Parts: sequence; structure tokens; C-alpha cells
Amino acid sequence: MAERKVIGKPVRKVDGIPLATGQPVFTLDVDLPGAAVGKVLRSPHAHAEIVRIDTSRAEELPGVLCVLHHGNVPRIPYTTAGQGWPEPSPYDSFLFDRKVRFVGDRVAAVAAESEEIADEALRLIEVEYRVLPAVLDPEGATAPGAPVIHDEEDARGIHDPQRNIAAAIDIRVGEIERGFSESDVVVETTCEFPYVQHVPLEPHCVIAYLDEEDRLVIRTSTQVPFHVRRIVARALGLPLSRIRVIKPRIGGGFGTKQEIILEDVAAALALRTRRPVVMKYTREEEFVAARTRHPMKVRVKLGAKKDGKLHAIEMDVLSNTGAYGTHSLTVLSNVGSKTLPLYNKAPHIWFHGKAVYTNLPVAGAYRGYGATQGYFALEVAIDELAEKLGIDPLELRLKNHIRAGETSPIFEKIGEGREGKAQVIRSCALEECIREGAKRIGWSEKRGKRLRDGPWVHGVGMAIAMQGSGITDIDMGAATIMMNEDGTFRLLVGATDLGTGSDTILAQIAAETLGVPVEAISVYSSDTDFTPFDTGAYASSTTYVSGNAVLLAARKVREEILRVASGVLGEPPGELELRDGRVVSTRTGKGIPLAEVGHRAMYVTDQRHIIASASFVPPESPPPFAAFFAEVAVDVETGRVRVVKFVGVADCGTPIHPRLAEGQLEGAIVQGIGHALYEEMLLSKRGGVRNPNLFDYRIPTAADVPDIEVVLIPSEEPTGPYGAKSIAEVGINGPAPAIANAIYDAVGVRLYRIPFTPDRVLSGINLVRPF
Amino acid sequence: MAIKRYHYARDVEEALSLLLAYEGRGALVAGGVDVARGLPGEIEGLIDITAAGLSGISREGGRLVVGATATLEGIRTSREVKAYMGGFLSEVMGHVATLSLRNMATLGGAVVSAHPWADIPTALIALGAEAVWRNEERTERAPVEELYARPFRAIFRRAVLTEIRFPAWDGAFAFEKLSRNAGDIALINCACGLGLDAEGKIAWARVAVGATPYRAARLAAVEELLAGEVPSEALWEEAGHRAAVEARVGDDMRASAEWRRAVIPVIVRRALERTAREVKGDA
Amino acid sequence: MKIYFELNGEPVYTEIKPGEMLLDLLRRLGMKSVKEGCRTGECGACTVLLDGKPIRSCLTFAAKAKGHRITTLEGLGTPEDPHPLQEAFAEAGAVQCGFCTPGMILVAYHLLSHNPDPSPDEVRAAISGNLCRCTGYVKIVDAVLTAARWKREGKWRKER
Repeated sequence: MAERKVIGKPVRKVDGIPLATGQPVFTLDVDLPGAAVGKVLRSPHAHAEIVRIDTSRAEELPGVLCVLHHGNVPRIPYTTAGQGWPEPSPYDSFLFDRKVRFVGDRVAAVAAESEEIADEALRLIEVEYRVLPAVLDPEGATAPGAPVIHDEEDARGIHDPQRNIAAAIDIRVGEIERGFSESDVVVETTCEFPYVQHVPLEPHCVIAYLDEEDRLVIRTSTQVPFHVRRIVARALGLPLSRIRVIKPRIGGGFGTKQEIILEDVAAALALRTRRPVVMKYTREEEFVAARTRHPMKVRVKLGAKKDGKLHAIEMDVLSNTGAYGTHSLTVLSNVGSKTLPLYNKAPHIWFHGKAVYTNLPVAGAYRGYGATQGYFALEVAIDELAEKLGIDPLELRLKNHIRAGETSPIFEKIGEGREGKAQVIRSCALEECIREGAKRIGWSEKRGKRLRDGPWVHGVGMAIAMQGSGITDIDMGAATIMMNEDGTFRLLVGATDLGTGSDTILAQIAAETLGVPVEAISVYSSDTDFTPFDTGAYASSTTYVSGNAVLLAARKVREEILRVASGVLGEPPGELELRDGRVVSTRTGKGIPLAEVGHRAMYVTDQRHIIASASFVPPESPPPFAAFFAEVAVDVETGRVRVVKFVGVADCGTPIHPRLAEGQLEGAIVQGIGHALYEEMLLSKRGGVRNPNLFDYRIPTAADVPDIEVVLIPSEEPTGPYGAKSIAEVGINGPAPAIANAIYDAVGVRLYRIPFTPDRVLSGINLVRPF
Repeated sequence: MAIKRYHYARDVEEALSLLLAYEGRGALVAGGVDVARGLPGEIEGLIDITAAGLSGISREGGRLVVGATATLEGIRTSREVKAYMGGFLSEVMGHVATLSLRNMATLGGAVVSAHPWADIPTALIALGAEAVWRNEERTERAPVEELYARPFRAIFRRAVLTEIRFPAWDGAFAFEKLSRNAGDIALINCACGLGLDAEGKIAWARVAVGATPYRAARLAAVEELLAGEVPSEALWEEAGHRAAVEARVGDDMRASAEWRRAVIPVIVRRALERTAREVKGDA
Repeated sequence: MKIYFELNGEPVYTEIKPGEMLLDLLRRLGMKSVKEGCRTGECGACTVLLDGKPIRSCLTFAAKAKGHRITTLEGLGTPEDPHPLQEAFAEAGAVQCGFCTPGMILVAYHLLSHNPDPSPDEVRAAISGNLCRCTGYVKIVDAVLTAARWKREGKWRKER
């Protein structure tokens, strides 16, 4: 392999200095003259019909520009899920409906001259509700006689609306009952994930306005600009060509911005008032009315032979999708599709479950996307199995995990809301990841030792995981590269950088292919008018899918350059290569700078603009792999858990930008630690959120972070751009099970429900004496 | 909050007359943290008292006097505060919130808002701190503990808190707090103080447990149990268990009553151990 | 009402609403680096320096700025002439989405102004009031330690 000049190097992130110097590059950092403020009136009830809505007093208030509600907008069913068409989510949402289905659901929206007037207008809207009985827990959703949450006739794609089942799955391999009866040892465990929230630092926000050509421009904090365009067009009955969506710099997403949250309302208000409309979520709205992870109960039953070989796996999922079914089928599917192939050798598998509606906050996409919940249960079950077998849990995993050259029947059984596709693993450094991680945490030195330090008892635990790199045969990313006459390039990609650094990584891929430093590539991304299509930043797709598109486009541009240069150098293109900003003959060493090529093509001879586009749809989704090791200390007197050290070792193929890849892992690990130790959205008896703020819902601070070590073990993924796979999600799958397993090692308590609060840990330790 | 006017009071008298003139529609602003986080809708006027001469910190013999508008961070880092009771108050301030908020929040604000989950009331009650305030008629004072047993919010609607006075104790104090993560409020806290007599027996004891989730209370029965006894591990254990019986605990979003009752003995014991070590000079 | 204060070294004399918060005033004056993340003082994205000390601008009445010095990230450096802290953040991979970055850098600036050789734990404690959801803080701590080392080596040029 030729030495790489740009790939794998810690180049400066293209937006690093602008962001570090506070440049006004976020959605709300522009002031549009004449902008109005949009606000939403939200339901106080978990489940109710809107019997009557009277907005006249609000409309009469001076400074109110318009009020929208179900009576004065088109009724068109759609999904708010930012997924490719045909979205594998029910079309069960409406711009405004005659019914509200969760505390915080949209009732009406106002556009006004100022925030104060908008707030006053909301107070003047009179709504008469007929309160309906509500479904407040997922078990109750399918009970006979439960209220039907989606009883509207025009919703589509709901698996069984009468029983509140948004989506269901049932996948069988082999014969599960035979599998368990043939097993020497069987364990069964159920793990629970509650409501947790993404907490991006920047809440959802949008500015929608009509430009000089009367086109609707939506400047929004989104992960999916192209899906926003398509879905808003549908929701408002507008031609798609009349809409432009721009994603500026955004302040984090993690999946909550893979969704149409405010864009539809803001667009509707902007069209109606013909004024620019600014809308933003308060932090409280971010908790109540954005999206959350799907709370789940996952039951895992494992059967193994006494030598440790897994023989049967059952996974049974009850997923709570909240009031609307966005991402319900695909998150449910991923619980199994991203976990079960990891243990590919068991011949008998049964993966089944359902996603049910409740009158509770709406669940959607969240980093990990079902795999996180699945791994919590699976990796705890594996540890329990190891204990029952009398085998070290590390050895058990080494014995059973998938390896390069292998496949799993799950790949072809489960796709993204449809049939899957068989795939063979071409790159897998998981064994090295496991061994490296074990060494760094001190696995053999610490495990089972229960080292003590005052009231703190130490323990170590581990977990392994895989994810995917994009969605096979569905995700599409495209790139266009234009050559400037001075030998530099402009890279246009639909791919969405949400702080992940994708603009930089894609520039690196282009730069490496074109033989130039990364500074020679300037990137413009995520503008539906000017950049080619990309499904968006989700499913860990950008590096692999968009990266491959960039690679293909860059190769086309390279061919054009070599053809032009061939005319100048008098050598056939096959003897020329791009190196260090020049076209050089491999035979004679003669060369010309790229600037000369660009100038010549633009102005001098046989003029044309050297420009090329390419699209890429992944025919497979090569998984990144990771091994996680946690050392915890448990205060046995109070139940407090401290993570002392956390090691994450990952194989993402070739890390295009090692520092950015590490950053993804580190951030995901800390987010996972937050899940494991503190985060939970608490619900009231009426279905409202009791802790919709950062005072009560705690996320990790810098002072909470343990000693974190992340290591990237390269493998060469032949189908990835320069051997790369993606890495954005896999890191969040490790902490909950690794910490659970470490707590067990420390104090012998198995915890099946996160977060591992002092309350739960102490109860487990049985030091609670009633007074 | 539709504020119509913002005043900068130059002294206590001005602040007080403005407050009274607003007849319930005005609010004093020191750091402003609690005010900004949520004030009743009828407030029309804000009266900023940070330049009214109330931010001083001084020693009067063994006593410590802290002005009502001294910031929590100012208190934490003050030389006078570090010299008082082995720096106990400084230690307590370090548990509260985070640097940026401590640069804004004031001791007076903490006393007046008296959040039950807060750390400062627990420490003030254990220390026997005294609040001084000026109302229309006169200057009044009362121990903070006693103040909280009165309708104190009504008092401060028509008065300006001017300073908190901390008595001199011959002994040491320690503070314990359990919370979920850094910067979080307490799941439970306690402040304990001990003084020994010439024979090494406990001359006095102060035990306050707070954030239970109720506001801190002194546990007289525990203090009596300790008085006159010889310090020992068994004594701290006994005191801790008695505290769990005596303290009023409940459930809230953060923790259950059951857990609180289980850990009160632990934190009281730990606080007493540390206090005893410090009193004996080997802290 | 009108107030006078100093913003990033420049005098400002401006009209404010009596109940307005400093966060909104600063953004109105063009200081877009000051971010709104929660409006309850918990996240730290709105952090600015008042007389050199970090405060939450979302909980500070604009009127409180009267007669004081306010520093926002814009006051530290520009893209053409970034402050060493800003360079360090960009180099270290400490900037992912960048939303927490302004508050984070100002707090780090304050730390280094009185503690030129902080330990990693001291850095973590100092920035513990600024939430970041992207980075896990690891590279932010690295960036601050690097900037501190540069300062001790005399590599910080004239400061604003």
C-alpha cells in the first residue's frame, strides 16, 4: 500500500477555528429583518380529543400574525422520521390533529412580532378537550380494552392500530425449542432501558422564510436536510422543487435531529404569514416534545453447550414508541439485527418483539438505535451464562464472536424494515480489541479480587458490540467535485456534519485521491439546492457511504485531470499520477502543477469545467467492532457507583482521522456512562415529564468522567474508502453492560435496570435495614 | 415576568424604601439566580442591592460576619472564612453548584430562598448562624434555625437581609453530601460539630441533617446522646443510627425515603469521625 | 433604560429593557458566540466573563452589566488571529459541534489566568460547570493542558 499523505493524519478540522473563535455559524446566529417568532401550544393531557378550539382572541391580539390549528391546515398523514423513502415508519402524524396523544403534543401554533406577544397569544387560545383514558405503560398498551391511540382512519403503516402495536417483528432461524433442549446450560435475563434523552447542547431550532423567488427556505438544525425537504413538501402539499433546506453548523444531534420536529410548523407559519419565522425549542420542550430513546424491556435467553459454544439465542423485545410510531419498526429491528450477528455461531435463533404506542413522550432515533438496548441485555446475559458455565466471560466471548470471513443468518433475515441481505464480514479485529482492552484494564489482575479502598470495592466488567456502516441497498450518498482554475477543489456533499467532522473526513478522502493537501479542498455541505443528495447523518453512514461517493467522484475528476495533463505532457494518462499537487509522469518524472491543468481546462484549450459527480449505495454494511472494559468502585455503605477507568478499543477499519474517530468513541462512551449511572426521564401519573430540565436530569460533567482510554485497532475493510468503516454509534453500546458486569464483579449484585442509582445499588447490596 | 424598572440601591435604606413602595410587586436582586430562574408574575420592579454595601466579610473576635450580598465564591476563597472553624464554611461552599453560579449566588440569596435541598441551610443551622435584617421599624436578628420555623418568606418580602453572623465554637465541624454527580444538589447532606472538654469528653455536639428532602433540622436527641460521652467508633455508630430514627425523611425524584434512612447513619458517622479527628488535631 | 459597560475592551452605551437578560443583550449586540442552551444556568453554554470571572449570562440581568467589563469569546481572538487557547482547542480535537466551546474556552481562560499549571483533575473541576455532550471532555482537557504548557513556555503573545 502506498504511503498515505492525508488519510490517517490529524489534519485540522475545517470548522475548528471558526467554531473556536465563536463565528456566527449556527442556525439562530443570523438576524433576518422582519422575522416573526413562532411558538407552539401544547397539550396538558396525555390523551384527549380537541372538541373545540377558538383562536379568535389570540388572532385579535395586536402583533399576532396568524394562528394555525387542525381547522385551517391541510390534513395529510406523514411520518416525522427522517428516513429514506419509503419511510419504514407509520404515517401517523399530522401537522395539527383533532386529537392529542401525549402531554406536550401540538395543539396549535402562533406567529407573532415578538416572543412576549407569542406567549400571550398562546394563553388566549381557548381549547376544550374531551379527556380520554390514557395508556401510560407499554404492557397496558395491548391489554384488552386499552384505549386505541391511533384510531384515525387515514393513518397508514401501523402494524395493528386496534391493539396499539406500531410495529412487530418475528425472525426465526433453526428451531429454538430444540436449541434450548439440546443446550447443557440455559440462562434467561430481562433488562430494562427507561426513557433517556439525547440532550444536544443546542435545542431544535429553525428559521423558515420565502426568498426572492418565492421559494420556501428552511434553515434548520437537522441531520437530514433532504428528508426534511421531502417530508415538509408532503406535509404542506407543496412541490418539492419549491423548497430549499440548509443545514448550518448544528449543536449536536445524536438522532433527535434525524426527525422533522419544527420544520413543518415553521414552514407552515412562514407560508401563511409570508414573513420569516424563527422557532426554537426551550430546554423543557426539548425534553418533552423532541424525541427520546425507545424505552425497552429486552428478554434474552441463551443456551450453550458445556464447552461454551452458544447453541440457542432468544431475544424478546417490548419497545415503547410513545405517542407516534417514528422509527418504531427500524429501532425494533436493530435490537436484533445489530446484536445477534455478533454471536453468529448459534444455529437456533428466535428474535421477536413489538413496538407499542403509549400516551407518553415520543421515542425516535438515538445513537445506537436499538442496538444499545439490545446489548445491555445480551452482554449481561453472556456474563450470567459465563458464570453458570464456570468460564471466564472474556473467554466465552472470544469463543463465540464473529470473525472475518464469517457470516450470520441474521444479515439476510433482518433489513431496515424489510428483508435483509446476506453479507460476509470482510474485516474484523475484535479479538485484538478484546485482548488489548483486557490488558489495559488489568482484567486478570483485578477480576474477582474485589480490591478494597475504604468503603469502596472495585470490580471490572466487559462488553463487546458491533454496529453497521450505513444501511445496505437503501442509504445513498452523492458527491460532486469541481476543480478551480488554481488547482484547488470544491467538494459538494449532501452529507451532514453535526460536529462529527464529516466535512473534514470527506475532504481528506478527496485530498488523498487527488494528491493534494486537505487545505486544497473546500467543502460545502447539506444544502438541498446546491449539494447532491445524501440520506443524512444516521446509521453510522457518513464515512462509509458518503465517503465512498467522494472517492468515486474524486477518481472521476482524477481521470479528467490526467486526460488534460496528458495533452500537456505528451504522455498517456496511464503513465501519469497525482502527487503533491502535481501531475507527474511515473516514467520520466516530468510534471506540471495542478494549477496549470485547471487553468488550461478553464481558459486555454478544449475548455470545459473539470467536474464530476458520483453516487454510492452500500451493497453491504461492514460493521465496526468494539470491546469495552470498565473498572468501577462501589461504595458499599451508600450504593454510589464511580467509574474509575473505562477502556474502549474499536476496529473502524482505517481511521480516516484518528483524533476525530477517538472523539466519537470518547463522546459515545461518556454518553453511555450517563445512561448507566444518572439519566432517566421520570414520568408523572398523568404522563407528563417530571424532570424536563438539566437541574433534575443529570448528564455527565467533566468532573464525573473516569480515566478513559480509547484505542483504535485498524483493520483493512476492502469495501470502505481507504479501508474505512464508520464509528459514530458503536461506542454507546458498551458502558451500560460493562458497568453492570463490573458492579457484579465488585459486590455480587446484578442490576437489570438502568440507571444504577445509589438507591438501586444499595437495595441490591441488601444493606437496607427497615427502621 | 414583565419588569418595568430596574433600580440600583445605593444603601439599605434606599433598598428597603423601594421594596416597601412596591407593595409586594418588587423584588430584591443580589446574585439574581433565584430571581431569574422564576419569579411570580406580579413582580414589576427589581431592586439591585449588590452595591448597597452588604458584601463585606470580617471577623469579630472569634465570630465571623458575612454580608448578605457576599458571593458564594467570594466566601469560599476569603481569607477570613478560611480561618474560621478550620475553613469549614469554605469547604461547604465548594460543594455548592459550580464556579460560574457561585460567582453570582450570594449567601443572602441562599438564606432567603432556603431551598430544602440546599447545602448552605444545613451548615448554617449546625453552626448556629444568626441572620440580621432591617425592616421598616428596626433591625432584627434571629438564629437561622429559628427563622425557618417562622413564616420567613413573609418577613423578607418586607425586609432587607443585611448579614449573617457565625458564632465562635471551640471545636470543629464537618460536612457530608451525597449527590448523583458533580454539581448536583444533595440526595442527602449533614453538618456535624463537636467540642471536647479538658477530659476529652464531648462538651457539645451539633448535628443537622438536610435535603431529606426536607430542609435541614438539628437532631436534638442525637446531640444529647453524644454530650458527655467519650469519642469512639461505637459512639458514632450509635449516633448515626439514632439520627436515622430522628430525621424526617421522604421520597422525591432523586431518592427514596428508604435509601435516605439507610445512609443517614453512614454520613453522620463519617462526619462525626472527621470532626473528631480535626478536633484532636490530626485532620 | 440605558446602560454603559465595556464589551471586549470597547465601550458600549445601549438601550436595554429592565427585565432583559445579559444573554439576549449580548446576542443582540452581535456576540453570537454566547449561546442559549437551557436558560436555567445548568449547561454553561451562555458563560461569559464579568470583570474576568465566569458567570451565567442567561441568569444575569443585563442591567447588572452597568459599569462592568464583559468578555465574550469574540474578545479572545479572531480567525485571523486566534488566541492560543482557541488554537489549542482546534488542534486537539476539542471542538466537535462547537456549541459548548465558547463557554468552555472562557472558563479555561479564567482558570489559566490564576493557575498556570493545573493538573488534569483541576482542569476537569474547573470546567465541570460546562456541559459537553459530544466529546466526553477528554480532548477538551488535553487542549487546556496544552494551552497551559504553551503559556508557561512563553508562547502566548500579547493578550487582549
